[in-house]
Amino acid sequence: MTALAGEAPVITADAVRHTYGKGRYALDGVSFSVGRGEVFGLLGRNGAGKSTLIKAMTTLIQPTSGQLRVLGLDPRRDGRRIRERIGVVQQGESMDFTTVEGNLDLYGYLWKVPAAERRRRSELLIERFGLGEFRTRRSWDLSGGQKRRVQVAREFMHDMDVLFLDEPTIGLDVLMRRVLLDSVRAEVRKGLTVVFTTHNLEEADYLCDRIAVIDEGRILALDTVANLKRLYSGKRTVDLTVAEADAGRFFDALSSALGPAASVTATAGSAVVLVDDPKSALGTIVELAQRLGVQLEWLTVRQNTLEDVFLKSIAHRGDPSGSA
Amino acid sequence: MGLPAMYLIFFGFGFQSLSSGGGNYLAFLAPGIMSFQAVMAGTVGGSILWADRRWGMLAQLLVGPFTRTEYLFGIMLTSLLLGLGGAALMLVIAVVLLGTTTVTLGGGLVAFGAIALGSIFFGSAMLLLAALVKSNNAYNSIQILLIFFVNFASTVFYPASPSLPLVLRALFVLNPLTYIADTARAGYAGTLGGTNALEMGILAVESAVVLVLAVRAYLRSDVSLE
Repeated sequence: MTALAGEAPVITADAVRHTYGKGRYALDGVSFSVGRGEVFGLLGRNGAGKSTLIKAMTTLIQPTSGQLRVLGLDPRRDGRRIRERIGVVQQGESMDFTTVEGNLDLYGYLWKVPAAERRRRSELLIERFGLGEFRTRRSWDLSGGQKRRVQVAREFMHDMDVLFLDEPTIGLDVLMRRVLLDSVRAEVRKGLTVVFTTHNLEEADYLCDRIAVIDEGRILALDTVANLKRLYSGKRTVDLTVAEADAGRFFDALSSALGPAASVTATAGSAVVLVDDPKSALGTIVELAQRLGVQLEWLTVRQNTLEDVFLKSIAHRGDPSGSA
Repeated sequence: MGLPAMYLIFFGFGFQSLSSGGGNYLAFLAPGIMSFQAVMAGTVGGSILWADRRWGMLAQLLVGPFTRTEYLFGIMLTSLLLGLGGAALMLVIAVVLLGTTTVTLGGGLVAFGAIALGSIFFGSAMLLLAALVKSNNAYNSIQILLIFFVNFASTVFYPASPSLPLVLRALFVLNPLTYIADTARAGYAGTLGGTNALEMGILAVESAVVLVLAVRAYLRSDVSLE
C-alpha cells in the first residue's frame, strides 16, 4: 500500500498555518507529504486540527500561510480541478432529502457518471454496504448509522485519485466498519490515495501506512505505524486506576517517584505509564499507594499499542490531562 | 404557492363585498398576489441555503466539482423560476376565477419582468439573511416577520390611498414589493406609465445592491453551521 519510490507526492504541505481568528492557530506550521497509493492517517484529539487540515486539502478553506499542493495543484487557484479528482466523507451529517437510491444516483450524476454506469455502481454499493433493506427510504427516515453508510457508499459512485475520510466510521457497527475499511483497502490496491482521520487507533493500525499525530495544530509525530510503535519498543505499558479524589496528588507523586525515564499520562482517575522496567515500576506504584493511603482499583502491565504512542506524543506537549 | 392562492381566492371574493364603488377587487388583487410570488420564491432560495448549511449539504457540495458561485446562482435561478412559475399559476387561477382577462402580451411581459426583478431582490435578501443568521429559531422568526411586513406594508392587497396614515404610506414607498405590485398591476391592466419605469429603475438598483451584499456575505460565511 505504500507509495512508489521516485513518484511525485500526491499531497505536500509545507509550513501550513491557518487561523480562524486572532491569537490561536488551528494549524500551526504543518509539513508532510503523502505518496500515491498511500493511506495516511491523522490522529488527534477533538479540536487538534485534523478536520481543519482536511478542509484545507479539500479546498473548503484557504490556509492563512504556507504552501499546500494536492495532486500537484494549488487549492487557492485550482480548487475546482482538485475537487474533480477527490472524494470526501465529511465528519458531519450531509444528506439530501431524497431516497438512498436517489442519493447514490444524484452523486453519480453530479460527477457526470453515465446513467448505465450509475445504475451498475448503485447496485454494487447497495449490496456492499447493506443498503438493500432501506434503499427506497428517504434520508430523514434513516438511523444515524444507516445515514453514515449512505454517506460513505455514495462517495464510491465516482472515480477519484484521493479519498479524504474524516472520521468515517462514527456511528457504524463493527461489521460495517470492517466493510468500509476493507472497501478502502481494495481501492488502495488499485492506486487510490487515502487521507484518514479517526479516534479509533485500532482502525488506524489496520488501515494506515503512515500516521501523523496532531495536536494544537502541530504534527507531534509522523512515521509508519511500525516505526512509531518501535519508538517505545524497549518499554512496557502499565495501566492503573485509582479513586478520582486521590488521582491528582497520587499521579503527581508517581511521576516524581518514577523519574524522567518514565512517562505518566493521566485522565481523571486512570493513568497510562510507559516504563523500561515494569517490575520495578509496579513495586514503586504499590509502595507509593500504601504510603499515601490510596486504593489501587486497577493495575496491569501490557504490550505497547498505537494508543500509547498517541498518548505519549500528546503528553510531550504538556497536555493538562497528563503529568509527564 | 398554496398560501398566495388562498389569499387570491378567499380575500378576492371575501373583500369584494366591501367594494362599494363597483370595482372588481379580485382583478385588483390578482397582480398583487402574482407579485407576492417574488417574496415567496425568495424565501425558498434563502431556506435552501440555510438548510444546506444546517444539514451539511453545502459543505458536501462544495467539495464536489462545483464553485461557490455556481451554487449561489443555482439558488438564484431556482428563486427566479419559482417566482415566475408561481406568478403564472396565480394568473391562470385569476383568469379562471374572473372568467376573463385584460392582460396584453406587452403588459404581461412587463408584469413578469417586474416579478423576475423582484425575485432577484427578495432572493438576494433572503440569501443575505441565510448567510448571516445561524440559529434556526432566529432564521424562521425573521423570515416570517419579513414576509408579513413586506406583504402587508405594500400595495399587494390595497392601494396606497391618501386616506392611509402617513407612516403606512411611507412604508409603502420604502417597500420594493410596492414597486413590483404597482408595475405588475399596471402591466396587467394595460396602464403602464413613467412612474412604473422609475419604480423599476429603483428596484433594479436596489436588487443589484442587495445581490452584491448577499454574494459577499455568502462567500464569507461558514459552509456549515456545526
